[in-house]
Amino acid sequence: MPVRVGSKADNEGAFLGQVILQVLRHEGVPAVDRTQLGPTSIVRRALLNGDLDVYPEYTGNAAFFFHRESDPSFRDAGKAYALAASLDLAANRLVWLTPAPADNHWAIGVRSDVAKREDLHTLRDLARWANGGGDVLLAGSAEFVESDAALPAFQSTYGFSLRGDQLLVLAGGDTSATIKAAAEGISGVNASMVYSTDGAIAITGLTVLADPAHVEMVYQPAPVFREEVLQRYPGVRAPLEAAFRPLTVDVLRRLNARTQIDGEEASKVAADYLRSEGLLK
Amino acid sequence: MIEFEHVRKRFGDHVVIDDLSLRVEDGEFFVLVGPSGSGKSTLLRTVNRLVHVDAGCVRVDGEDVATRNVETLRRGIGYAIQSVGLFPHRTVAENIATVPRLLRWPEADIRARVDELIALLRLDGMAERYPHTLSGGQQQRVGVARALAARPRIVLMDEPFGALDPLTRESLQGSLKAIQRDMGTTILFVTHDMDEAFGLGDRVGLMLDGGLVQVGKPLELLHAPADERVRDFVGGTRARLRELAVRTVGENMRRGEQAEGEPVDAGTTLQEALGAMLTQGRDRLPVHEHGQAVGAIVLVDLVARGA
Amino acid sequence: MIRRPNGMALPVLVLSIVGVIAACLPAFLRIAPNRLLTGEAFNPHAWPVLGGWLLVVVCSSVAFPGRRVLLLAIAWAGVVGLPLLAGADAHRILMHATPYTRVQAGAGFWLGWLAAALLLLDHLRGMHKAAQAGAWLAALAAVTLAFVAGAFDSLSLVREWQAQRAPFTAATGEHLRLAAITLVLALLIGAPLGWWAWRTRRGDGVLVGILAFLQTVPSLALFALLIAPFAWLAHAWPALGALGFGGTGAAPAVFALLLYALLPVVRYTVAGLDAVPGDAREAARGLGMSRAQLLWRVQLPLGWPVLLAGLRIVAVQTIGLAAVAALIGAGGLGRFVFLGIGQGAMDMVMLGTLAIIVMALAVDLLFQGLLALTERRA
Repeated sequence: MPVRVGSKADNEGAFLGQVILQVLRHEGVPAVDRTQLGPTSIVRRALLNGDLDVYPEYTGNAAFFFHRESDPSFRDAGKAYALAASLDLAANRLVWLTPAPADNHWAIGVRSDVAKREDLHTLRDLARWANGGGDVLLAGSAEFVESDAALPAFQSTYGFSLRGDQLLVLAGGDTSATIKAAAEGISGVNASMVYSTDGAIAITGLTVLADPAHVEMVYQPAPVFREEVLQRYPGVRAPLEAAFRPLTVDVLRRLNARTQIDGEEASKVAADYLRSEGLLK
Repeated sequence: MIEFEHVRKRFGDHVVIDDLSLRVEDGEFFVLVGPSGSGKSTLLRTVNRLVHVDAGCVRVDGEDVATRNVETLRRGIGYAIQSVGLFPHRTVAENIATVPRLLRWPEADIRARVDELIALLRLDGMAERYPHTLSGGQQQRVGVARALAARPRIVLMDEPFGALDPLTRESLQGSLKAIQRDMGTTILFVTHDMDEAFGLGDRVGLMLDGGLVQVGKPLELLHAPADERVRDFVGGTRARLRELAVRTVGENMRRGEQAEGEPVDAGTTLQEALGAMLTQGRDRLPVHEHGQAVGAIVLVDLVARGA
Repeated sequence: MIRRPNGMALPVLVLSIVGVIAACLPAFLRIAPNRLLTGEAFNPHAWPVLGGWLLVVVCSSVAFPGRRVLLLAIAWAGVVGLPLLAGADAHRILMHATPYTRVQAGAGFWLGWLAAALLLLDHLRGMHKAAQAGAWLAALAAVTLAFVAGAFDSLSLVREWQAQRAPFTAATGEHLRLAAITLVLALLIGAPLGWWAWRTRRGDGVLVGILAFLQTVPSLALFALLIAPFAWLAHAWPALGALGFGGTGAAPAVFALLLYALLPVVRYTVAGLDAVPGDAREAARGLGMSRAQLLWRVQLPLGWPVLLAGLRIVAVQTIGLAAVAALIGAGGLGRFVFLGIGQGAMDMVMLGTLAIIVMALAVDLLFQGLLALTERRA
């Protein structure tokens, strides 16, 4: 039976799924394309039920799968991966391969003109600006504004507090919508929630503020296999890890921009990337 | 032959048929007459098992209908209803062919039978038309043809002419009576119209409140009503007029006498003869039989009759 | 229809006013710096387009010889000409722009084109069937020819399609297949259920209650619930799994779509059976038809038009709903809608949505044709 490769339906998920699929095929492993399957809840459940064999998942999400959101291990890249891998292997016989170095976590981006004017580089600078009476107007999804893993955590750690009229909440909004709001200055918005690997960041002129206190958990993408399938094809581990290793934040941001900004097809972007890394002929 | 033996039927608390027994002979034209709600339609529908009896039994040709396969039973019995119920998506010819088709007659036999019935019921030229293009009388002719199509020995008719205008009704009654006499079909016919009952029935059964009050030849009901209810129903003073519709000129003429005027046929009813006298303004008319003058019919005889 | 004293239908006036408004809107096109950002409005041909629509306003209120032909010509020119105009503009703009620049069709274009199409539809209604088909086919042929020749290649929507050519073709096939399988199964299951509901007169009871409840379950929740049992089924019967049956993919998608389609199919089956005259049914039974013969020879032919009209609605509804199948890996055109929303690329959303609308309209037309055939026969 061929290996069923899934992925989430979002932009980055589609690309990472194609990377896995094309590496498997290049290694001579029969593989079925089930990428862009659906949201996390659907894809994860499909893997657990044996309806998928592999898909790319972020290490930090394991904290949610196992209800360990407060575990400090998930704020360190190495420990987060080790914990995610051991928990999932013990509980579900799932194997996490070595993740990419890119850490795709929630962050705050501000318009570059504002960042320059106010000298903003990290969230500490944002706190200084906000507490000094700065006219911050931040766009975010309801989840970003309310989740303990996002804005409330930033606020308590860096010591600032945005008033209700400093927030533009787009219910169910994705980063593309909030980034667009900040880039176009809709209703005076000058800051937006972002994912650190968002392809839209560069072209829309946003500056992503660093998170020196590691408020955010580490979200590094890695192929997650059902153990029995990986045992059947042990030879795929090395090439897959080789394909994920070059994926730094900058590389991933650039690749995401190709699908997101240029509208290119994920399979083509993945093939170009693998070819440039010499992993595909 | 149809036999009802101590038949009972109730719908909920309402007793529709109350311990009723009756025997309809082979080749007989039997009319069940009564007001609406008297149970006559329900009784008719027990024969082809559209209604199941609660107690007692109904036999057709000596066999209890409850033991028969219901479709076979129904295909052997003609059935016509007041609302006709033609299939709107089928032509006249296809409607008439319904039962022969169900019985899987050979196609040639079906075609021949349909042609025969179309001629018999004066539906010429309508074979390929759809029901909604026909008049009410024409539709009911198709309904009767459909009931007779498979040459059933028994035909059930539930007020088939009830919705038609008087002229159309009379013409259809005439056709039906002639066909029945020619084929020897047993007909059980339901109506609430006394004139229709007396005009068609060899015997008439008067039903009231789920029971048969009186069964007999039309004249018996007129001359010897079993009780007041029967007398009321057969129509008091109008009973004499009805009698004229039942009797024929032949029974009442003065044989060998002569008269002036347009002759009437010995087979016509006294009602028609009286009509002819009124039209011609004469109190006596010549009577013909097979085209020969045989006597005269006289007004005073009609008035004196039955005294 | 309300007619003005001079004999022109009121819709012409309404549509021409819509056209005038469309011509005055600033965004005939939008020029965006890249695929994500909203473009700035651009309307270079406001005056000539406005002139055309004002001519329609005049035509709708003043009678003169040759008015109908003139109106027909303007409407047809609008349907074919507006896209050509937009395509040519886009081409000109892109020649002097950065590679990221996108030219999108704006509200002014869509509104104006819709008004022209409806005007053509309204104007052709009274005419010969052949004239109607001819006018539409000619418009379709002209637009298709221009498309093949590359006249629209600079428009953002077409660029989206070009970037996704192979997946788009596959998704269209998947979408059609999902809808068709759902419809056939809904008929095979819903019609007998409807017959049962009609016969036992439980139409308003348990069955409809259950089906109505299922309609309220959100599709994503339903999908999540379906993965485990479907994966188990595929595991228990490997033959099913080999057919592509599993916890994700077409099987749970069709199942969910089926649950949504069953209620209307059951309802229309009951309505179809109710449409059979009671006396015809009574006569059929009295003449000795079995239940099956009654069904096939009387109830089905007489109730079919009602059921078919219902199926037409179910088909259009299913094509629309099938977009959610992309959420459980069954593909279909919904994948462009969801991926587009995720990327914030409204042109990609538009690509998926337009394709679904066109498919729904085509299927609607097909069912209209079937209905007309049935009615002619009866």
